[in-house]
Amino acid sequence: MKQRMDGKAGAPAAWQELTPGGIITEAGNSVAYETGTWRSWKPIWNKEACTHCLTCWVLCPEEAIGLVDGATAAGKGRKQIAGIDYYFCKGCGLCVRECPVNKKGKAAPLTFVRDEK
Amino acid sequence: MSATKAITGAGAMAEAMRQINPDVVAAFPITPSTQVVEDFSQFVADGKVDTEFVTVESEHSAMSACIGAAAAGGRVMTATSSAGFAYMWELLYVAASMRQPVILTLINRALSGPINIHCDQSDSMGARDSGWIQLYSENNQEAYDNLVMAPRIAEDLKVRLPVMVCQDGFIISHCVQTMKLEDDAAVRDFIGPYIPFHPLLDTDHPVSMGALDLQDYFIEHKRGQYEAMMNAKDVVKKVSDEFARKFGRTYRFFEEYRCDDAERIVVALNSVAGEIKEVIDELRSQGERVGLLKLRLFRPFPYEEVREALSRAKVVTVLDRACSFGAWGPLFAEVRAALYDLPEKPLCYDRVFGLGGRDMLVEDVLSVFAESASVLKKGRVDKVFDFLCVRGGV
Repeated sequence: MKQRMDGKAGAPAAWQELTPGGIITEAGNSVAYETGTWRSWKPIWNKEACTHCLTCWVLCPEEAIGLVDGATAAGKGRKQIAGIDYYFCKGCGLCVRECPVNKKGKAAPLTFVRDEK
Repeated sequence: MSATKAITGAGAMAEAMRQINPDVVAAFPITPSTQVVEDFSQFVADGKVDTEFVTVESEHSAMSACIGAAAAGGRVMTATSSAGFAYMWELLYVAASMRQPVILTLINRALSGPINIHCDQSDSMGARDSGWIQLYSENNQEAYDNLVMAPRIAEDLKVRLPVMVCQDGFIISHCVQTMKLEDDAAVRDFIGPYIPFHPLLDTDHPVSMGALDLQDYFIEHKRGQYEAMMNAKDVVKKVSDEFARKFGRTYRFFEEYRCDDAERIVVALNSVAGEIKEVIDELRSQGERVGLLKLRLFRPFPYEEVREALSRAKVVTVLDRACSFGAWGPLFAEVRAALYDLPEKPLCYDRVFGLGGRDMLVEDVLSVFAESASVLKKGRVDKVFDFLCVRGGV
């Protein structure tokens, strides 16, 4: 899908609507950029196997890994993985490769599959 | 107070730069750079300007630094010539497409090789598609006046494009002529303070510039850039009219010298116009109806106005001081295209002259008019394109 550079909804802007030289005047408008369209492979998150170490969240180049407030077994507050936002996930596979639980070769919190969309 | 001064063309441009007092000048100070930079650096050393003067390691870096400084929010200028200008090439396009109103003083000199940095317009003509406004100057007074007008044209919000002011190398740049230098305060009043447009240093309003621009938006940005260039025509006119009211010298897109009833008109740029005017005066005294159209604004090209000005001529001779190898000369291509829509077109042909500083003497200009007389008599053009004053003949 075509994106508007200004992040607003609707059809892509006509030339008269653009800033001179394409100056981007809204800071942080990359949240409107759907990098998910680039994906040909897709990471699948398996909640049951995940230890919530947050390695994937740290490493993800598109901030596609979401977090929620959770708690440890002892009831202490901590951040937990909420899932993958496929609007931003470009399918680079970094999370799959760097997941420490995946590296142990047992139950895999992250698997990498062909994206058949 | 304004003063009459004997000064070189390069010196005249440096004086205009001193009066403009830009925030940043980034320039490469060695050959083929010109006396413009040397004179201006003296003004910096003497404390006559507030400019941050950056002596960079190349012209590529000079234009890069100019773009950065302009994006940061400063009024920015540079100066170069010939191969130095060619080394700026990549960044010329970036300055224009990022819509940064950088001002460049360009002394027209040949591009090597064999090695030559004498007068011709190969440098600026090669950059005619780079998106810069191009103003040409016959002499040091015009170079100075064009440069004083340049910031107003470049910085107008309908335009926001870089401007290059061109003058002929050596013939004008290194030769002393008398000219009127306007009062510093009057020039600064005319130019006015610089009003930045989304400057990078305004951290309360952060912006990104020069972002990646792919298939889905690039052509829309180019369309807008084209529009800004076309808007420049009105702005050049407005600023020139204001300049005329304030300083008394009138400039249009081109000068028509004794064109009113002229049958044979020569079209040319820059210094050769001086000799052509001399020859026209002589031929007019003998009853020949000859004239000169000296173009000042080459980009954007004033097609309609040129067409109207040449519509009553019978023969139009275009003199190109640049060679587009394998094609007609760049000035000729535009002039001839402008004439295409006339129901009755004048005969029109192109002569390339003066490459690498080869003199165009008064007798050479006389032979140009002798040829146009012969073309008029025959009623046809035998050779659309040729060189002038080349040993070995046609």
